[in-house]
Amino acid sequence: MTTEALLEERHMNQIELQHGRSAELHLFPHIPEVGIKKNGSIQLNTFLTTTTEVLRIYCIMEGRFEWRIDRQSYVLYPGDTALILPGASLGSDNSVLDIGTFAWIHIGIQKQENGRIQPGKWSGLSESEGAAIGKVLLLTSSPVLPRFSEAGKTIKCICTELFGQEIGYQARVNHQVDELLIQVTRHMTKQGHSGRDFPKTFMHLEEVLRRNLSHQWTVEEMAALAGMGTTLFNERVKSYSGFSPINYLINIRISEAIRLLKQPEISVTDIALDTGFYSSQHFSTTFKKLTGYRPSEFRKNHLRNK
Amino acid sequence: MQCVITIELGTNGVRVFAFDLDGRVIGSMKGYHPTFHTEPDYSEQDPEQIFITTLYLLKNLLNEYIHPKKYKVASICFCASMHSVLAVDKNGNPLGHAITWADNRARREAQELRGSALGKSLYTATGTPIHPMSPLLKITWIRLHDKERFALAAKFLSIKSYIIHQFTGEYMVDYSIASATGLLNIHDITWEKDALKYAGITPDRLPDLAPVFTSAGRLKKAFQQSLSLPADTKILIGSSDGCLATLGDGVLGEGKATITIEDSGAVRVMGPTVLKDEQMRFFNYLLTENCYVSGGPTNNGGNIFDWFTRQFGDFSHPYDIESSMQLLIEEASKVPAGSDGLLFLPYLLGERAPIWNADARGAYFGLNIKHERQHFVRATIEGILYEMYSIGKILGEQRDIKSLSVNGTFGVLPFWTQMMADMFNRPVRTRQKSHSVSFGAFLLSATEMGIYKSLDDAARTVELPDVYRPDKQHHAVYSDYFSIFEKLSTRLSEEFEAISTLQRKHAITQPSLIPIKN
Repeated sequence: MTTEALLEERHMNQIELQHGRSAELHLFPHIPEVGIKKNGSIQLNTFLTTTTEVLRIYCIMEGRFEWRIDRQSYVLYPGDTALILPGASLGSDNSVLDIGTFAWIHIGIQKQENGRIQPGKWSGLSESEGAAIGKVLLLTSSPVLPRFSEAGKTIKCICTELFGQEIGYQARVNHQVDELLIQVTRHMTKQGHSGRDFPKTFMHLEEVLRRNLSHQWTVEEMAALAGMGTTLFNERVKSYSGFSPINYLINIRISEAIRLLKQPEISVTDIALDTGFYSSQHFSTTFKKLTGYRPSEFRKNHLRNK
Repeated sequence: MQCVITIELGTNGVRVFAFDLDGRVIGSMKGYHPTFHTEPDYSEQDPEQIFITTLYLLKNLLNEYIHPKKYKVASICFCASMHSVLAVDKNGNPLGHAITWADNRARREAQELRGSALGKSLYTATGTPIHPMSPLLKITWIRLHDKERFALAAKFLSIKSYIIHQFTGEYMVDYSIASATGLLNIHDITWEKDALKYAGITPDRLPDLAPVFTSAGRLKKAFQQSLSLPADTKILIGSSDGCLATLGDGVLGEGKATITIEDSGAVRVMGPTVLKDEQMRFFNYLLTENCYVSGGPTNNGGNIFDWFTRQFGDFSHPYDIESSMQLLIEEASKVPAGSDGLLFLPYLLGERAPIWNADARGAYFGLNIKHERQHFVRATIEGILYEMYSIGKILGEQRDIKSLSVNGTFGVLPFWTQMMADMFNRPVRTRQKSHSVSFGAFLLSATEMGIYKSLDDAARTVELPDVYRPDKQHHAVYSDYFSIFEKLSTRLSEEFEAISTLQRKHAITQPSLIPIKN
């Protein structure tokens, strides 16, 4: 049965399922909430500002909504998808709910001690792919993804599966949630980066790497940021820069470390961690291999006049 | 067996080459480093990243091609882009990033000086056009607008001086790079007093002047060890990319000129005298005491075709930009010379030689109902090359150019090389594997080693195997259209100013990622 038919049959303007209250979600603790809302008239005090520890995805299907996401105002139109990260707020001024239709889902993805987010055991994504997706989600510059109606369609599919409960629906629901995360990630990284302009993509990547140098980047994460598969990514980076992605990253790390070593107030251990080495030993070895100096020697040579 | 290594510190990255003593390439590597544009007029590079990139490439080149075959490195010769400025403190530590040639922040200062009598006399003394690219104006800008950096700056270096300082601990600048700072008197080879006064500095805030054959100190111990190089490995200070590309093409002596087309471009000649020009259109840089490399630079070279390809190229298949360009060139070749009267002014980035107009803008002219898509492609390439020809034409007023050579990524595309032969009506020589700058550095090293008696001798041995001969009919067509191209370039100056003023007025300020060159 299609979702429209479902709505029709139930004479309802909305589907709203909540874990703990709706039997349909009994098997899905990682989906605290999912639904589709059709709002016919402006309603006051219904769209309260909330902050949760889950990832929330809202997709506009009809109408026009003025929302505040993480305290910033956005106007959302049909096809726009909003991505609200764990810890970010969502609401509207005076808690007004505008006229229109939207679909949404809350996904309980795990926040780890180091602040990273990653899908749980229900997910079919490999650990490294899950981590890469989590990293890309956290790096999002704008919470609104324009012209991205696929997200709404996927949420509809999830609702249909939940109501239909046909054979294999549990796998299918989880599968669709993965699908949704993949769609969102790919869409985010594809914005503005077509094959037309690899230099621009590369520059963007460079900026993100420099801003997050302490992060232990994997090639999967860098490739996902550039909106490419790892094989193509490796090839493009190598032919464009002359370096493999990891070597390029190491060069940025050492360059930044050199800059910091020339400032006396930061300790060598802090520099190692700030520039993404997992220990001062690892830093020292890599640094010496390339520059011929241990970091402490290098520092001494450059601060002799101070 | 001995070998020579060259290190080229270019605009977009570093290239290292190893040559055997016959000038054959043993191995090469390149590494990219980014240019940052934090403000629309700014163009900066991270000096530490350039150093690390250089070190990484040198190490890998040695380990891959040199040490396994037991070559002995006779010398390591440096070449670099001109006009960069890097301020360092008393410990030699960088104060901010290096400012590259493409940086335009000193636009206002340049405009003022260019219009003054002092500007004229400085141009005559230093050979460097009065332009925001000139370190003279960049240092002046720092003094006026970044007082803290100016006060802390113990020295103002070029990128090459900084990199050499990392390797050997010496502060040196070669004649060629120095002659492109706008601070050096190119006639008596001393820092020009009036220029220093204008910039507000004393000579001790500049590196030591050194001829291009100078050994720039001894490789530091740590590098001798990490690179497995003996202590007596000669570090040659070398020259600039412009001078060495000219030498590398063998353009020493009467009647020869060379055209370089990378992202930007230049037409150059080399000889014992400078080019004089009331309108200050040419540069005169020093290779050695009595050898000047002179010519005119353009902002609008391959980067314009790159722009065109990004906008109108075929990207429906996962082509990279090179294949998209190749497809466009195939389209262009289906259109007759002259593009059936469609003309293109390539001044998308303003222009240096010969019109020296930062406000100049691009235009397609002469469009009629029969013109098709492929006419635009051909007209775009023709426009870029008419611009090269217009520089060559004014050079021809002072030097008799009998033969030409072409180098640079875009210059050596056969379709482009042929078109230049046709426009100039001269045979054009080239080599497919274009590495003229590094080969020039090799010739310099080999001369220093005594393999050649002089640079003259070295230049004479250069053989460029591919010759493109001009087609008389095409030349006639191009000449006809060129006269209109030339008129438009100067006649539109009022409109150029009006439109660029409006463009600035209505611009939404946004830091740009693409280089903005005057």
